[in-house]
Amino acid sequence: MVKALDTKLMRDLWHMRGQAFAIALVIGAATATFVMAMGVHHSLTETRDAYYDRQRYADVFVNMVRAPRSIVDQVAAIDGVAEAEGRIELYSTLELPGRITPVRAMINSVGDGGASKLNRLVLLRGRGPVSDKEGEVVIDKAFADANAMDVGDRIDAIIYGSRSQLEVVGIGLAPDYIWSIAPGELVPDASRYGIFWMGEKALEAASNRTGAINAISLIIQRGANEAEIIRHVDALTAKYGGTGAIGREDHLSNTFLQSELDQLEAMTRIIPPIFLVVSTFLVYVVLGRTIRTERGVIGLLKAFGHTNGSVGWHYLKFALAVALLGIILGSAAGWWMGRSMTAQYAEYYRFPFLYYQVSANVFLTGAALAFGSAAIGAMGGVRSAAALNPAVAMSPPPPPIYRAGLIERLGEKAGLSAVGNMIVRHIVRWPGRSAVTVFGVALSLGLLFSVLQFIDSSRAMLDNYFSRAQRQDISVSFIEPRNEKVLSELALLPGVIRVEPARAVPVMLRHGARSKRVAIEAAHSGEMLTSRVDAQGFEVTPPASGLMLSRALADQLDLRPGDKVEVELLGGRQTSATLNVASTIDELIGTRAYAQSDVLQNLSRDASPVGSANLLIDHAHRDELIGKLAEMPMVLGVTERDAAMELFERIIDENIMSMMGFYIAFASAIAIGVVYNSARILFSERAHELATLRVLGYHRSEVGVVLLGEVALLVAIAVPAGCFIGYWLARLMVAMFSSDLFRLPFAPERSSYGVATLVVLAAATATALIVARRVNRLDMVRVLKAHD
Amino acid sequence: MRNAAPQQLSYASAMPHRVDQQLANGHKHAFVGRSLRKTYITGETEVHALRGVDLDIHAGEVLVLLGPSGSGKSTLLNIIGGLDRPTAGELWYYDTDLTALDDAELTRFRRANIGFVFQFYNLIPSLTAEENVRLVTDISDNPMPAAEALELVGLGERRTHFPAQLSGGEQQRVAVARAIAKRPGVLLCDEPTGALDSQTGVRVLETLAQANQELGTTLILITHNAGIAAMADRVFNFLDGQIASVMENETRVPASEMAW
Repeated sequence: MVKALDTKLMRDLWHMRGQAFAIALVIGAATATFVMAMGVHHSLTETRDAYYDRQRYADVFVNMVRAPRSIVDQVAAIDGVAEAEGRIELYSTLELPGRITPVRAMINSVGDGGASKLNRLVLLRGRGPVSDKEGEVVIDKAFADANAMDVGDRIDAIIYGSRSQLEVVGIGLAPDYIWSIAPGELVPDASRYGIFWMGEKALEAASNRTGAINAISLIIQRGANEAEIIRHVDALTAKYGGTGAIGREDHLSNTFLQSELDQLEAMTRIIPPIFLVVSTFLVYVVLGRTIRTERGVIGLLKAFGHTNGSVGWHYLKFALAVALLGIILGSAAGWWMGRSMTAQYAEYYRFPFLYYQVSANVFLTGAALAFGSAAIGAMGGVRSAAALNPAVAMSPPPPPIYRAGLIERLGEKAGLSAVGNMIVRHIVRWPGRSAVTVFGVALSLGLLFSVLQFIDSSRAMLDNYFSRAQRQDISVSFIEPRNEKVLSELALLPGVIRVEPARAVPVMLRHGARSKRVAIEAAHSGEMLTSRVDAQGFEVTPPASGLMLSRALADQLDLRPGDKVEVELLGGRQTSATLNVASTIDELIGTRAYAQSDVLQNLSRDASPVGSANLLIDHAHRDELIGKLAEMPMVLGVTERDAAMELFERIIDENIMSMMGFYIAFASAIAIGVVYNSARILFSERAHELATLRVLGYHRSEVGVVLLGEVALLVAIAVPAGCFIGYWLARLMVAMFSSDLFRLPFAPERSSYGVATLVVLAAATATALIVARRVNRLDMVRVLKAHD
Repeated sequence: MRNAAPQQLSYASAMPHRVDQQLANGHKHAFVGRSLRKTYITGETEVHALRGVDLDIHAGEVLVLLGPSGSGKSTLLNIIGGLDRPTAGELWYYDTDLTALDDAELTRFRRANIGFVFQFYNLIPSLTAEENVRLVTDISDNPMPAAEALELVGLGERRTHFPAQLSGGEQQRVAVARAIAKRPGVLLCDEPTGALDSQTGVRVLETLAQANQELGTTLILITHNAGIAAMADRVFNFLDGQIASVMENETRVPASEMAW
């Protein structure tokens, strides 16, 4: 048996379904973004952990120039190491028919049939390579898909300077290559960079490394000290040209994935709270209004013996029921959006399987947050309902008192029409509610703007890097560093206008207890194609002596200009020196260090200091030049700046466009929820006045102006407020989304303010017009007979 | 200012001329109605609010509609005022066929010709007395200044007061000022004294009579109060959706001499 009070609740909800739904929409947006971000975060984390665990992703990685296999046993014997495995990792150039730009592959050695102890290969199709069968390879799925390759295909490759034909025997994936990028590239491009696995014996033979390896991975025992083990590994591998062992947190594939997960977490901290705050205010305003109109009913209920508590609970249930609707809608939407977002991640990050599951905890937490904010919003109204004295409640509420105040005098001074005065005075009469409308619409605009700023920010980063810092047309990377003679060789190639060397030396920087593995990049005197550009777009030249560190790196090492830093060379000669930190540079991408080339040369005393070369070319000879470069055995990769830039833009567009729809929908949900409720309350409060105006001879459109004029004025105030909120929200998001890998600049285009404003205005206008249609249904006859 | 001409309606394009009715009894007729019926359907029951009413309302007369609740007088007032349409029958305002007008045209008709006074004043609480009057003068073609309208009802001193700062009688006089400010052809008053005490009511009626005298406005009053009928030229007695009888007063009693 449903209690009569609950029947009233159901009827009230039905009667106010439009407003209830509009609030539920905002609560739903909160729940949806929360469930989506947490769900995706949780699913990706679970998937990653399961993948790492199943395929035994290593804890520590080290690369060397060349080491005997016996070193693996020595590494395995280090205290705390559970298991160690050595392998050969080798870059190779592929010759795909019809492709001008070189295609590269990273070939990893595996045991017979693709077996290995660590970083185990997952075979999706075909089989693993037979260990000593020359030319059999498993290729990674992304590369296979991007180049339409399958088991049985053959690929011409240059391995260690000699040409051979590879046969694809399988398609696979591995946990150490969830994300990969070719060296020297800024953007991953699976069509031009593949991860291959080849039998151990076959790769040894092809690379002239019989009995030798150049990489070791290891898993450490639970509770073992990773830093201590890394120190031991470095000591052991130093004489074989070890470039310094790294833990998972520095392993490229894992680092990128982690940065994505961190961004998702940042999102759950910023976006759902915005929706929750708005929904709290909406509940506050709408329930407050409902309780004011139901004074008489409340008095009656109490006169019949309902307790203050049960009356309060009745209205609280109203808010909770609206929240429940929002939670149901939002959970379903969030689950669905999370699934499509996870699928998108699966395209970008290569997992062999993907758990998409949102734990009950996520739903429960989302629901608790939504119920909580609705309850907070309801508190004011519920308490006033509970506190209302029944005798007072049953008499009509005192009429709103309007007195000649400052605003009234301003209205007279400004020569406002009577209708204009009605609008302005009503806003001032209900300042709290007007503020909620302004605040809500402003937040909606701000949220949308801060999302749009992301696109601007990514483009600004792109522009900063490609247009200002990297001015070469082509950069050429070499399989092994060359001496300066290579520059004159390149200069002789067709179409080459200018050649500049580039060099990066891997080092370990130490300052006190802190250390960081980075590369010092060389600046050459007279160079024109590369420069160091700070976040503001200004060129910064490394000092004549000492190092220039990126700000982020200096912060991590707690270094200031003038401090000394210990520089330990990794790979090749093991030397260390103490250098002066001469300056810092505020950079957007990476954590890097710079020095003039002679400073670096003094440190490394290297005979072959050219790691890669930057070329300025005559585009008329582009195809011919690239063809020639690809034929040179020393060339590992050729990167065209424009192509990379285009690819980067495409990735930004794809990622952003898919999310943009969601965010436009969510931001509109706020605008719709706020404007609808504000207009409905306005309409119900003023129905009597509006009908009176109709009787007096005002046309529907003129009466609509009274209704919409107030909403329009509030929205107009909300636009600059929203731009202001958006400005700070975008700054906050930029700060929260920045990581070790990159720092997003705050660089909004003016058009983003415009687009955000237009979307919010469109949502607000459409919503207000829906409410304004009620003017057509005003009952002029009833108004003549009724008290207002 | 007697016999203010009805304001021409801009849409009066192809209105047939009803000379025969115009000339009846030597009076110029403001309204002519024939077989007016109004049926409301509320839920499953039909309510016949008007059951075939024929009427001629003389320009410039004071007409009182008397009758019990539900007898159809308010329905008739709403139809005359262009707030509602008859279900059947015809209704003319001078040369204008009111039954042929759409919503926008009825609005223009009200705006140009009708002044309303309601039982519960229907003032806008957020506007001062003068601004409430301006609400109407803002949209009229030939209004008197709002301040002048308030002078006419004796509230010149209180024009900057908000409704909440005025007594009931004062509020009703503001409503009267609002109704007469546009110099309407017709004043329609639905129980204008219903919420007022006798003394205040008389004051309001005086103001209405004054508008009728000085502006030549046709004044139509609905009341329960038979005493008020004495100030009318004619009285229509309503019963069951029909005019049961028409009474003509030889002499009108001035509003100031009435009491109830």
